[in-house]
Parts: sequence; structure tokens; C-alpha cells
Amino acid sequence: MSIVVCLKWVSHPGEPHDSRFSGMSHADQSALEFALQQAESTGATVTAITVGPPGAEKVLRDALACGAHHAVRIEGPTTTSGTDVATAIADHITDARWVWCGDYSLDRGAGSVPAFIAAHLNAQQALGIIHASIEGDAVHATRRLDGGRRELLEVTAPAVVSVEGATARLRRATLAAVRAAASATIPVVSATTPMHRAEFMVRPYRPRARVLPAPEGATALERLRVLTDAAAASAARGDTVRLEPADAAARIVRALREWGYLAH
Amino acid sequence: MTAPDVDVVVVGGGPAGACAAMVAARAGLDVVLLERGPFPGSKNMYGGVVYPRILDTLIPEWWLEAPVQRWVTRRSTMLLTETQAVTIDFRTEAWGAPPYNGATAYRPDWDHWLAGHAQAAGAQLITDTTVIGLIRDEHGAVVGVRTDRPDGDLRARVVIACDGVNSFLAKEAGLYEHTDAKHYTLGVKETLALPKETIDERFAVRDRHGVDIEIIGATGSVNGGGFLYTNLDTIAVGVVLKLPKLAAQAQRPEAIIAKMKQHPAIAPLVQGGELKEYSAHLIPEAGLTMMPKMVMDGMLVAGDAAALCLAAGIWLEGVNFAMASGMYAGEAAAEAVRGGDVTANGLQGYQRRLSDTFVLKDHRKLHRAPELVLSDRVQHLYPGMVANVVERMFRVDNPEPKPGLRRIVTQERQRAGVRRRDLLRDGWTGFRSFG
Repeated sequence: MSIVVCLKWVSHPGEPHDSRFSGMSHADQSALEFALQQAESTGATVTAITVGPPGAEKVLRDALACGAHHAVRIEGPTTTSGTDVATAIADHITDARWVWCGDYSLDRGAGSVPAFIAAHLNAQQALGIIHASIEGDAVHATRRLDGGRRELLEVTAPAVVSVEGATARLRRATLAAVRAAASATIPVVSATTPMHRAEFMVRPYRPRARVLPAPEGATALERLRVLTDAAAASAARGDTVRLEPADAAARIVRALREWGYLAH
Repeated sequence: MTAPDVDVVVVGGGPAGACAAMVAARAGLDVVLLERGPFPGSKNMYGGVVYPRILDTLIPEWWLEAPVQRWVTRRSTMLLTETQAVTIDFRTEAWGAPPYNGATAYRPDWDHWLAGHAQAAGAQLITDTTVIGLIRDEHGAVVGVRTDRPDGDLRARVVIACDGVNSFLAKEAGLYEHTDAKHYTLGVKETLALPKETIDERFAVRDRHGVDIEIIGATGSVNGGGFLYTNLDTIAVGVVLKLPKLAAQAQRPEAIIAKMKQHPAIAPLVQGGELKEYSAHLIPEAGLTMMPKMVMDGMLVAGDAAALCLAAGIWLEGVNFAMASGMYAGEAAAEAVRGGDVTANGLQGYQRRLSDTFVLKDHRKLHRAPELVLSDRVQHLYPGMVANVVERMFRVDNPEPKPGLRRIVTQERQRAGVRRRDLLRDGWTGFRSFG
């Protein structure tokens, strides 16, 4: 059984062009920690993989220092579309039983790569996990849903799990491991399909402005509650429907438009 | 005895550590440079100008690649009272062209750059790793360091402690006979963003030329000094404060900076600056008085860790002393390792190099200066006396005739409450120090 952890070399959002502030996101660190824990409990090996230029090897060396058994860098530009990254990774890990990812990267933040990898590998997916425990051959995971709700999942291999940054604290590498990892040879492979450089602006996440109706309430406190109580607000507009996937997707997009999350 | 893992461990990736690692690695030694921050310089700050002349021997034409903000072509020394300012302003175009003199730079850039040269020379840089103690053999000789990582012991033939002011390693090794708060000052600094064009206009400079202003009399009742210097699109304004006075006066350092920024001579220079950073750092200012033993069996101490900071009024230097002492420590370590004798005796080349060069010669020559500059008379009486003399010299009191300078000086000396013999004594001390 093999375990793969996907790591992205990202810059700090405030210093996008300065490699001094680059490295693994907290989410990726959590993913690495879970991968290492799973390897310890199952006897499997962990392969750390990244897509990027030579500078991206920094995160692989960090992973090796922490205990990953292998590391692979897929040559690629710094900015690539999520689908290209997922394809490149999935093509190289066809025999992976478990794939751990951070839930989304610091610089782009779409969180789409784990889902695309799962689709390529035809594996189960448990994305945006806020709590995970490794129990035998399965992973018990808690997933964040809107409105403060939670989804409890029992995931079995083959599966892709993406975790949030606060789910685990990455272990500290020993001094000898850090020294050894610094001079380790990192295999570099080419992507099986051509990768396209994605052109986009790196900037802090700024959600779209949306119009909120004036809150109802006799007192300021009541109005504040109406405005800020997420659970009550989403419960009020929650809607459970049973639809075919295509119709369900269209319904979700329509709801997001109506609620002001998407531009019309 | 356990075999050493490496030849040299350098603790601290500042200017001293980077130069020590660079030199030792270039000599063919196996060198590890340990830095507690995520990258060298990440936690460092200073309050002035770096004078990199010493780098001529290490990095030829360093000015072509060094991360410099501005080359200092204007140096001003300012005496302030509440409402007056006397400024001696010097500028030269020579300092704005190779081989240059002093430069302003951001320490996270500068230290990162220097450490890059150490890495290029073959030293292994390990970041995010704090040294928490020394490993010593049964005779007390240093044989390595203990870090905060799991299995974090690293054994070395020579340890070079460049762990900065308050050096825990030098103290643990007992190299400081005693430490006293009066030997330290606290430097605090605000970095204010202004457009480059605004800075160019306000400070009358162009291109990459910049200004360094040292200020006496701006720190109120707390003995110390002020400074103001230009980066490319920020200015740094701050104060250096004598610790016991600061504690006794119960004043907040940021309040002292705020007051200095309101001075009529300073306010127009800093007006509209957006605060980008506030930082503070201790400075070992007492020179020879506080310096520790710098050589022991298996260990050398360099940079701020060895109190190699020159705070002598018109000369305020530290980074150059750090780089030089680091360089000499690296040379001495290489010599000792090659010679197979890393005892204090084998490492004596370090002490010899320090004594034979500006590192200790400047300190010896200027050993009285720090105390003089921070003395109560220089701090609280002389600025007002000088400013009043100058004000009366240039004031036109017609129909009164112009008074003689000697009479003005005598009257103002008496008005300031300065005794003639104190003035003469301070003048003599100054002459012996600076002359």
C-alpha cells in the first residue's frame, strides 16, 4: 500500500514574489502529518509529490526531513491550472491507495486539485476535512458543511483526503534528518501531458460584495443577531431538494446567484 | 569521546555568523550555520548604516550585488533643544560611487544575502533551529551545541558563537565576567513609508543617494541619542536609550520617538509617513568595559555576542565589526582545525587578529567615548548651551553691536550651569578619544 502526500510550494500572500517567505501551507503540513501517521500505523511508505520549478523542492526536502520515504518533483511552471496539476500528479501515482492534500493552497485557494485527482484515480474523496483519525484501514473524518453543520465520513482506500490547516501539527524534523534531506537527490519527472501556464493575479482573497436586506428587529441587538448569526441565517434559507446531479448543480448555481455569491 | 559531526558550527545567521561560515567553508571546512529564524535576518534589526569596506576581501565588488537601499552621501549630526537645532551637515559625491562608504539596508535583505555567500562557499544553513546550550567535555571544553530539534545535538571541533547581544552561549560558557544593565542601550525604531520622490525632495538627495542623521538632545530626560536615515521608499526614525535611565524615568520608548518626531526640525521630515514597522533591540554599547573573553577551548565569540559594537558619538558602527570579527573567527577556526589544536591556545589567532585590526584598535582608541557621549552634561547641558551660543551669534540685535564670541560662550556656559573645569575635562576626554 502506498501513501502519497501532495505538497505545494507557495509564497506568503503578502510577499508573493519573495522566496524567503515560501514553503508549505499549514494545510499541506497537516496533510503530511496525517500521511506520516498513517504510514506508521500501516507500515506503508509515504511519497511526497509536488508540481513546480526547482525551488519547489524546498517543500519536498522538508517532507523528507520529517520522515517521508520518497519525494518526486514534477517539472512545471509555478502557476498552472488546477486540472493540469491534478492530471500530472494522478498520472504519476496510479497505484496510490491514499492521497493526502491540503484543502486549498494559500495563493489560489480554489481547493480543486484534490477533487480532480480523485476523479482521475476514480477514488473516494473526503475534502475540506476538519478532523481526521486513522483507524485501521479506514480514516474517520469530519467534514465542514455550511451553517455550522458537520458530515461524518468513514473513508476507505483508494481515497483522496484534503485537510484544513488546523487538523494536525507537523512533527519537528530531527537535526540529522534536516541535514540529510538538504543533500538528498530529488527525482524530477516530466508531466505526461503538456502543462499550461495559468495567467492570474495573486492577491489577497476578497469576497465579492453582496447586497443584504436590512435586518428586521426592534432592537439593535436583535438586528445584529439577524445579521451575524450564521446558523439562523442559513437555516432560514436552507432548502433540501432531491435532484439529478446536473439539475442539482444548476440549482446550486442559481441559489448562489440569488444569495449574491456569484455575479449575475 | 564521540567524533565531531562537523568541523565548525556557527550559531546565528547574522553578519558575524554569515562571514564566519563563509570564511571557514572557503577554507575547506565542513561548516553548519544554525539560524533560529525562518531565514537569516528574519528577526534582525539595527538603527543605522552599514559600512561594508571589510567585505572588499571577502566579496570583491560587493556593491554590485549587495541589497543596498541607499548609499549615504549626506551625514548630519544634530543637536536639539526643545525649540532649537544645530546641525553639522556634510555631503560628498564620492560616497555615492564605487568603492562607496556607508549604505542603508534592510537587515532581512542584508543578512540573507551574506548567508547566501556562506552557502555558496559550501556551508550548510539550517534554519528554524535554536541552539539551547553547549555540549562540553569532561575538561569543560566546548565540543558542540544542543539544539531544540529532536536528537538535536551537533558536535563540532569549533563552535563560533554569533548569537547576538545577550549571547546565551558566551554567558553559559562563563565568558562574561559580569553583565550590567548600564552597559546596554535599547534601540527602538519606526520605519515609515514615504514615496521615493518625497524622500528625495525632503532630504535633498537623488537616485540611490541617502542621508544619515545622528541626533543628540532628542531623548528628553533619558540619556541616549536619536537617528533618522533614508531607505529607498521608507525612512527609519528611532532612538537609542540608556537602559537604567529608561527604567528609572518610567518612560515608554515609543513616547520618546513620538516626541522627537514632533520636534520642529524633525516633524517636516517625517510628516505623512505611514508606519510600516516598529522594532526594538538591545545594543551592547559599553565597548571594552563589557567585552567578554572571546576565546576558550573549542569556542570563539563574535559580533554583538562579543559586545563588538562601537557607539562612540560620531561613530556608530556594529555590522562592520560583526562582519570583521566573524571573518577573523572563521580564519582562526580554519587555522586551528588544520593545525589539529582547537584549544584556546590553538584558537588564539582570533584574539591576535582582533587586536591587530580596527576591531579592537578602534575600541581601544575610543574606549572613553561611549561614556562621554551618554554623560549627563553632553546629553542635557551642552546641546542647549551650543544652540544658545549659535542663536546669539546669528541674532541681529541692532542697534546693539555684535557681541564677541568669547563673551557669548562664557555667558551661555554660566547660564547652562556648566562649570569651566567640567567643560575643559570633557573637551580633553573628547580630544583624547576622537583626536
